[in-house]
Amino acid sequence: MWGWWRFGKWTVLIMFLHIIAILIFTKGFLLTRTELPHSSRCSDISQSPCHSSSSSSCWTKPAVDRLIIIILDALRFDFVAPSSVFEQKQPWMDRLKVLQRMALENPSSAKIFKAIADPPTTSLQRLKGLTTGALPTFIDVGNSFGAPAIVEDNFIKQLIQNGKRVVMMGDDTWTQLFPNHFNKSYPYPSFNVKDLDTVDNGCIEHLLPSLHQQDWDVLIAHFLGVDHAGHIYGVDSTPMIEKLEQYNAVLEKVIEELQNQSGSGKLHENSLLIVMGDHGQTLNGDHGGGSPEEVETSIFAMSFKDLPSLPSEFVSSSCEPSKNICISSIPQLDFAVTVSSLLGVPFPFGSIGRVNPELYALTVGTWNLDDNKTWNNQDETKLEEWLRNYVNVLCANSWQVKRYIDVYSASSVIGFSSEDLFHISDLYAKAEENWLNLSLYKNESSNTSLPILKRQIVAYFEFLSYVAELARSKWTEFNLKMMGTGIGIMLLSLYCHILAIKKLNKSYGVSLLLSRDPGISFGLMLASFTTLMHALSLLSNSYILKEGKVANFLLATTGIVTLRFSFMKNKMLLEAATFLLLTFIFRIAIDVGLYKQAATSQFMSASSSWMPGISISESLRTYMAEIVPILALIILGYYLYKAISNYCWGIAKCVTMGTILSYLLIALHWISESNILDLAHFLKGYGKNYIPRTIYGIGLGQLLLLAIVPLFRKEEMSNYKGNLFVKMISILSACSSTVIILQGKQGALVVLGSLLAGYCMMRLQGIEQHTVRGGAGISIFNPLPIVQWSLLALCLFFATGHWCAFDGLRYGAAFIGFDDFVLAPQAILLTIDTFGFSRILPIFGLPLFVAFSSLSNQTEDGSLFSIKLFWIFMVYGLITATTATATIVCVAIQRRHLMVWGLFAPKFVFDVVGLILTDILIFGASIYYF
Amino acid sequence: MKKEKSFQSTISYFQVFSIHVCCGLALAVGFWVAHNVYFINLISDTSATLRLIWAIEFPVVILLFSCCTQKPEKCSYLKAICRGLLGLPVGALLNALGALALGAPVGLQYFERTVSWSLLMSSLTFVPTACVYGSCWTDWHRIFACTKPNGPLDFMLCLPAHGAVIGAWFGAWPMPLDWERPWQDWPICVSYGAMAGYMAGMVGSLGLALMRAAGGKQLKAE
Repeated sequence: MWGWWRFGKWTVLIMFLHIIAILIFTKGFLLTRTELPHSSRCSDISQSPCHSSSSSSCWTKPAVDRLIIIILDALRFDFVAPSSVFEQKQPWMDRLKVLQRMALENPSSAKIFKAIADPPTTSLQRLKGLTTGALPTFIDVGNSFGAPAIVEDNFIKQLIQNGKRVVMMGDDTWTQLFPNHFNKSYPYPSFNVKDLDTVDNGCIEHLLPSLHQQDWDVLIAHFLGVDHAGHIYGVDSTPMIEKLEQYNAVLEKVIEELQNQSGSGKLHENSLLIVMGDHGQTLNGDHGGGSPEEVETSIFAMSFKDLPSLPSEFVSSSCEPSKNICISSIPQLDFAVTVSSLLGVPFPFGSIGRVNPELYALTVGTWNLDDNKTWNNQDETKLEEWLRNYVNVLCANSWQVKRYIDVYSASSVIGFSSEDLFHISDLYAKAEENWLNLSLYKNESSNTSLPILKRQIVAYFEFLSYVAELARSKWTEFNLKMMGTGIGIMLLSLYCHILAIKKLNKSYGVSLLLSRDPGISFGLMLASFTTLMHALSLLSNSYILKEGKVANFLLATTGIVTLRFSFMKNKMLLEAATFLLLTFIFRIAIDVGLYKQAATSQFMSASSSWMPGISISESLRTYMAEIVPILALIILGYYLYKAISNYCWGIAKCVTMGTILSYLLIALHWISESNILDLAHFLKGYGKNYIPRTIYGIGLGQLLLLAIVPLFRKEEMSNYKGNLFVKMISILSACSSTVIILQGKQGALVVLGSLLAGYCMMRLQGIEQHTVRGGAGISIFNPLPIVQWSLLALCLFFATGHWCAFDGLRYGAAFIGFDDFVLAPQAILLTIDTFGFSRILPIFGLPLFVAFSSLSNQTEDGSLFSIKLFWIFMVYGLITATTATATIVCVAIQRRHLMVWGLFAPKFVFDVVGLILTDILIFGASIYYF
Repeated sequence: MKKEKSFQSTISYFQVFSIHVCCGLALAVGFWVAHNVYFINLISDTSATLRLIWAIEFPVVILLFSCCTQKPEKCSYLKAICRGLLGLPVGALLNALGALALGAPVGLQYFERTVSWSLLMSSLTFVPTACVYGSCWTDWHRIFACTKPNGPLDFMLCLPAHGAVIGAWFGAWPMPLDWERPWQDWPICVSYGAMAGYMAGMVGSLGLALMRAAGGKQLKAE
């Protein structure tokens, strides 16, 4: 045991460091808001202290009858705002002239807002945010496996619940988010980025006729052309300007139509038109991140009546006198609640926005105007009435936000700190106190009540903006300090790793009586270069998406270099060529895996071109698919038998016999599943679950046997190498049967392939150093084979149809041998399936490089072997840790990236789990092999 | 050392210079013809452009390098050209296999492009050596396996070939990126990389040849 502790302490230290670093980093990085399933109801308002304005209405009095929302995807702020606001006029500015003209002509009834979105600025996340009035949820574990339909309360849901009819046209993301909500929908596929017109033409086709129809209350038209034009051509391009001009024409028609029908008694007497973007875009047409260009979009709102304007203290706009237009700013967070209040439906339960005064004031209904009388701007009573009404709305708004915060902090694990909660309650209590005072003044003259009303509004604003601020900092801001600390500890662990490896090098040199530093060999350089390339590639989403190909590319590169060495030495050419051939085969398997991934991934387009066109007849192919894996199994069993028959270690024989039995059972299982042979009919249903369970049982028994028996048995040290080999074979065989049955038919083939690859690598491992050292007999350690081994493991992960996403888990594997869902066994099976080929088997197979290395000189004793073995484990651990560290750093760098939650975060989770598993396995393996 | 010197003296640095310039010019002419005569480029018609460049580069390479054969008394100019012609398909096959192992697409629709690309690669890497050394295993071994070229001739064969391969290797890196640029298709950026690497190799070889020449002169002067 002391022999083990001499180096084993390093594995423990490193494992410890890794776990701490990952815990700290994760706490700073994986911030999530829990989605609550509650939704608001009309009757809820009776619990609030606010007066309901009238008995008939719900939370608020409906202020508009019909609402037309036109969403222009990726609408930059400078598309809408007049160019005089900006320093320099660009070609894409001032193209939506009709909006500017309207805002200029009737400043009180039409307005351009600068809308600030919350990142991530992708359409799906933004639509979620716009309709729920909440901040984005990042990883919604319960929901991420299925359709993206919104579970949280949102204003579309509220509209449906309160009997409003909604019509949708355009981007089909809406129908994904709200599958059964719309009365009528005309969705068009948004997938093809190169298609600038399908969605828009569909929208235009339905938009104008719909304006004449009476069968809707809310119309949503989502145009996609600008987004696609940006993605393909960029902002400063002719297609973009053409698109904007097309929109201008459409909007002109829409506004004209609405104005024509806005007379009293007509269809759009009390309608509100909103033209808005869901997010902006950069000049290259990218969006997703949090840069001002992406976050700033615009809302244009217009009603078709002349309206009074608000007192200046409620106007947040920057009106510079030189520029003749005022532009106010509004967070997108406020959209859902403002629209809900205008339509008179309950505010979405999870909304933390505030009813925006300017947008609210833009509608006729909030002013209580008589049609015949022209209003007077100085009319204090009118203003007071409006303010009173608005205060009422704000009261409901604040109450709803407070309720949400209370419910959220009661039900969520990671809520707000008690300090923050106290401050929230304090602010709310203050506002409420004012409210009570206000009620007393209710019947007094306007002279006294106006300032009080204003003060009340300010108190509510204070409360609401504090909550929004707090929520933003808690839910959308990363804890950079913790992330930094995590990365720091991770780097420290890497340093420890290198230190440990140096120490091992030294003690190996000492025991060989060498004082010479091995120096930097070409193998070491290539190994570091390959690892670094792989690590750096993780910085880009594309390389993560195609990591299998990257790993294969690097593996083949090392293979080609090895081939070159074998040419140089003029030996083992066959092995090097076989190895390259194997990488080619794995590469085909990875392509197939990528093809599968593309079918489900939202980031990849399915391209069948990567598929090799195999044109074997169908029956032959199925026949092959049935027979070949079983053949592979038989070959595996045969080699296992042959390998072990030369050695005589009782337990090992026992274990391998058990494995061969398992292989037979697996073959039986596959035959019973196949359709070619009907003779195994009796097994169906009966043996379906028992065979896999027996195999699991055998595997577990083998592992226990291997773990316990050596404790009672002193092994002879004479044949260390032979012992090591037997041990390796027995543990690999014990693990392999379970992994194979979980992987299905490909499993046997992959095991066979990786065995062959391992054999080639093992044979080739010395090829470079002999050349460099001229066969001087100094076998310095060469990390290249270990890098190859880890790349091969990575390739196997992808070649067996996995990828780093939660939908890349093969859930089917968890149900082999089980019909019902039981958490523990299913989780274990899923882990074995996911990491079987990429972590478990490779790590237990690492002694391959010792057991066969330097077969020529038999003089080395056991301690040298153990140092070598440890060295190999350490290097393998270092490679894994380097990649995992790179993933962590890249995730931290890309935390504002468009795909951070779709791609980087899952990759992070997979790598981190894999790293910890690797540490544990290395720990276990190093104990086992000593 | 002296022996080697006399052995190498079959090629002067002026020859190295002119051969390299001609090869580089041939590439440039290939591009120019493709752009201005046939109005195609690598993006619009990949395989045709590659073939065109190859069709201009290959004769230049084979004609020039066949002049530098060792022991001209044994191996006539015509024979050298034949060796180069034989070397072309072998080199193309090896290049194509290497590319496939590294992940080049295998579909039938890529077949033509892969063939054109590997022909071009072969004439950048294999054909010169085939012309000069024929099937002499030790020379091949020295240049490509051990990378121990001696003399300007070996440099002239070794450096551009390695440059082309390494350039192609680096050229493959942008391929998986999601920029959706047309040049990311196989084998456009790989070809660009290969040609850039080839140019760099030629410059390197030229530089080394000049250095050697200067060194030689100094030696003589001393």
